[in-house]
Amino acid sequence: MSLIAHAIVATPPIGVSTAGLRGRALVAVDCGELGLWATELDPEVRLEREDAFAHHRVVEQVCAAQACLPVRFGTAFGSAERARLSIEERRDDLVRSLARVEGKREIAVTLLWRSLEGAGARAGPAAGLGPGARFMEERRALYAERDDRRIRAAELAERLVAELAVERELVWHEICMSRNVAVSLAALVPSERALDRKEDLAAIVARFGDVTGVVNGPWPPYSFTALGGLGPSAPG
Amino acid sequence: MKELSPADASVLELVDRLIHKGVVLAGEATISVAGIDLIYLGLNVVLAAAETIEQKIQRKAS
Repeated sequence: MSLIAHAIVATPPIGVSTAGLRGRALVAVDCGELGLWATELDPEVRLEREDAFAHHRVVEQVCAAQACLPVRFGTAFGSAERARLSIEERRDDLVRSLARVEGKREIAVTLLWRSLEGAGARAGPAAGLGPGARFMEERRALYAERDDRRIRAAELAERLVAELAVERELVWHEICMSRNVAVSLAALVPSERALDRKEDLAAIVARFGDVTGVVNGPWPPYSFTALGGLGPSAPG
Repeated sequence: MKELSPADASVLELVDRLIHKGVVLAGEATISVAGIDLIYLGLNVVLAAAETIEQKIQRKAS
């Protein structure tokens, strides 16, 4: 059997009243100072989209019971011993990361551009240009539009960070990851105030005229599990 | 290109976290993730893929 890893906790793991993937019982692997919640599955089983959401539900339950570090979905171990060895290799970093997320939850903010029409599209190439000049003019307008959007997205991200008034290391963000998305931001906030902060953020993003704000969470601290130091987890 | 709805954004943000973030434990195989192969590469790639597909459909139609 394979062990599909869900979350790392300090020992002793506090029991959770939820099943693992595909209705199977959760197992707690004792790794000394740390414990790993996992589901035993046949290694031939191919994980599906629904398993990803089931993993999220498990991590949520574990996170509600005690501080936890979510493990990236799809991580499998051939045996409990292999899991122990892998965790033991990084024990000190994992313990530090667990301390950092203790008592905190993640709130996510996504800002979507309200209009995908940019300055370049509005201006259009000047009349009377030849094909080469027209091409160059269109390229120039496109790059100008991208630059404008990046500047605006950076401004929006800075405003969100300032309004959150939390330490920089507790906020992670990216800008302009796609044509639709201006900002994707995650903040680690105290669990007991997470819903209040979510409402605060929703009110803040509602004031932005050029983007639609989507505020999600509170979630387990997925974006703040980087090992080997402070700062959020690096993108895959 | 189709605009991304807030509901789409919520799901994509969550899936992006599940498969892109969280602790990476080295030295073990990550099992194949059937059915979410398209989104396994992340939010950016999903959106790019959707755009590409739409362009192909438009080209066929014209």
